[in-house]
Amino acid sequence: MGLARTLSMRALTLVAVLVLVVFFMVIILGATGTSDKILQAMVNEEVMMLRQSLAKTIKDPQELERVINIRKQELMEFYGLTKPWYVRLPDMAWRVLTLDLGKARTLKTFAGGNKVSDIVIERLTNTIILVTSATIISALIGLVLGVRIATKVGGILDRISSYMSAISYAIPTWWIGIILIMVFSFLLKLFPFGGLYSAPPPSDPYLRFLDLLWHSVLPVTTLVIASVGVWIYTTRTIVLNTAQEDFVNAARARGLPEELVRRRYIMRVAAPPILTNVILGLATSISGAILTETVFNWPGLGRLFYDAVLVMDEVVVIALTYIFTLVYVVARFLLEVLYVTLDPRVRY
Amino acid sequence: MLVRFREAFQEFWRLKVSKVGVVFLMILVFLSVYVVTSYPLDFGVRYWNNPAYWADYPKSAPPSWVNYFSDQKLPEHHVFIYNKPSDIISTESGRTLLYVFRLDFQADKSPTFISFTLENLTYYSDPLVARLNVTRPDGKNIELYRYIAPAPYAGESPPYKRFYDSPKRISITGDISVASVLARFLLREYNVSIKPSEINSIGQHTIVFSIPGPDKEFYVLKGEYIFMVSINTYDSRDYVGEVKLVIGGNVYGFMGTDSLGRDLSIGLLFGFPIALFIGIVTSTITTLLGAGLGIVGGYVGGKVDEVIQRAADFVNNIPLLPLLIFLAFILGQNMWILVFLLVAFGWPTLTIIVRSMVLQLKSSQFIEAAISLGAPRLWIMFRHIFPQVAPFIFAQLIFFTPTFILLEAALSFLGLGDPTMPTWGQILEYGFRSGGIYVGLWWWIIPPGLLIIWTAITFVLIALGMEPVVNPRLRRMK
Repeated sequence: MGLARTLSMRALTLVAVLVLVVFFMVIILGATGTSDKILQAMVNEEVMMLRQSLAKTIKDPQELERVINIRKQELMEFYGLTKPWYVRLPDMAWRVLTLDLGKARTLKTFAGGNKVSDIVIERLTNTIILVTSATIISALIGLVLGVRIATKVGGILDRISSYMSAISYAIPTWWIGIILIMVFSFLLKLFPFGGLYSAPPPSDPYLRFLDLLWHSVLPVTTLVIASVGVWIYTTRTIVLNTAQEDFVNAARARGLPEELVRRRYIMRVAAPPILTNVILGLATSISGAILTETVFNWPGLGRLFYDAVLVMDEVVVIALTYIFTLVYVVARFLLEVLYVTLDPRVRY
Repeated sequence: MLVRFREAFQEFWRLKVSKVGVVFLMILVFLSVYVVTSYPLDFGVRYWNNPAYWADYPKSAPPSWVNYFSDQKLPEHHVFIYNKPSDIISTESGRTLLYVFRLDFQADKSPTFISFTLENLTYYSDPLVARLNVTRPDGKNIELYRYIAPAPYAGESPPYKRFYDSPKRISITGDISVASVLARFLLREYNVSIKPSEINSIGQHTIVFSIPGPDKEFYVLKGEYIFMVSINTYDSRDYVGEVKLVIGGNVYGFMGTDSLGRDLSIGLLFGFPIALFIGIVTSTITTLLGAGLGIVGGYVGGKVDEVIQRAADFVNNIPLLPLLIFLAFILGQNMWILVFLLVAFGWPTLTIIVRSMVLQLKSSQFIEAAISLGAPRLWIMFRHIFPQVAPFIFAQLIFFTPTFILLEAALSFLGLGDPTMPTWGQILEYGFRSGGIYVGLWWWIIPPGLLIIWTAITFVLIALGMEPVVNPRLRRMK
């Protein structure tokens, strides 16, 4: 009971955040007149289609204009363009929530379609592949090194890692990506400049997977470099604090093997706070993904964001802002489920 | 209070990181002040983003010091500008203004182009006549070009002003009359017969800077070249505003140029005040707002606290960068909007921490004493609580600064920087968008990144130095 209650409370809060963000976006869009522009474009699109289909049946140009004008008026009514922007706020918010935003102006899906929801959704997988693999690698390195350093506090590795985590706070991730491209792609010609597959992609699925791996080395490395310092440092600090607790000393005093003490007494307790840090770092890794994808031309949501800004495609920018918030909220919820499973004390 | 401050400062100054950080900060501030006082504030619009201004600069040229590291010395780019003649010769018909440009040429390749520019000419009787001569290291002299200022129009009365609105640029490279002059020169001096059209495709500048071999190949001639522009005037009031000679090269200045020919050293220099301004101003406002809300929420409690906490939780749950991109995109790219947005999304972290600190302080005895003496709430918050958390708040101010500098750079890199001023992020953005990273234009890509890191590190170092001073646990033990 307690578990379900805690989780549903979190879920509710996060849904509230999502809805509030969408409303906030829609208010901005309405107040700046952008939502008028978007709806008008949708009306124009339909009117154009109508004109094409009617032109075959109605030959009289005046009659045609009249019919189209009536239909246009109806459409304006339907989309709420005849009402001021604040009246149709809920409607517009619903549009954003369901990604019913019409067509992108210039951006297209890989197959060539231009429906905004299709464009955004097909890119989602690529972003998730990139971010999850980078996070898993950072987590592994961070946990292994962090725990090891915690056993030798004050050693060379400890000092290096604390300096590194301070410095990594001051280095823009995307610039590291650029430097990696210049060194490993331009100078040494070891890795591709960017993209997901070679052109043309290998047809054999096994080779195709290898090609994907080859293309993902630099972007994943960039993301790992950006976040691994923080992983190591927080793991070290939390493990260190836990290792000094009385119950750990008591376990050692009972003569339990060091490996068992580490696994059951230290890590079991240290895991939830480490996870808290991951949750807090989630927003940072999403930002990192946007910039890294941009640099490496990785066809995910982040690169799409850059392209949409470049060609001034408002609808895509709106859809992406919403999707990023959605992904963030969902990821955060999943991590909190994990958190509750790890730490029974939270279930009150 | 003052004594405590001095003690805190001594504690801070003991650490090496603090000293390095402060020295770095002083350099940054000095450079920023220098830029703000010596460059016009509309530099971005008037010069940086104005391609015409950079027309005479070499495109994508590396810095000139690369010559020290390579076997083949590339020609340096030279721009000579004279506002006054270096010599005046009086003749019976009037005065001749002489402009002498000396160039010690030691590169292994000939320059990329030659041009000269006249600006702000005034004459009263006969049109001015300008000549460009070059004396080469081997003593040979060529009159390259002769230019007569446009004659008076029908109905125009003196003074006749020419090229005040836009300067007259004469390109020696690509000029067919110069090609014929050079063809005659080669035939006369070296007995080499070559058609003007061929010279045009080899490049007039190459001929000027070389000696022909037997098979129409050209060897660079090193040594001192003296270019002379002489302008004949026919009235004592005649005036020449500016004469400019450009010898195009492959390397330029201390930091090189970008693909539009913009001098990167100036753009990078301009980035200092902007980065510092955005970092410090945003951080200060954010810190004050965040701390203020934290103190009020923590001390007042009740409904007020609830509202602040909900708001903080809400903002804290938003992925920052996507929303920043959205807002910068919809609201327009302007530095003030950016500062506002960064503040609007930056305050909650501090509010949450400060609130919990205030909650602890609230139950301490000196606050209870103040309350029982009947002190008003505002007084307690300002005089009793604020000083207790002030050092921590100040440290957070320093600690937040690099975050904002990096965020601004990231937004600029995504093409959402304020277009009226050059920033490091924008220089990188253009280098990335125009493909500079794929052809290895390192002088364009590496320096702006290093400067961003350097500025950010400065604040990180100072923050590290302040840690033992403001760590509440350490302070309370004293």
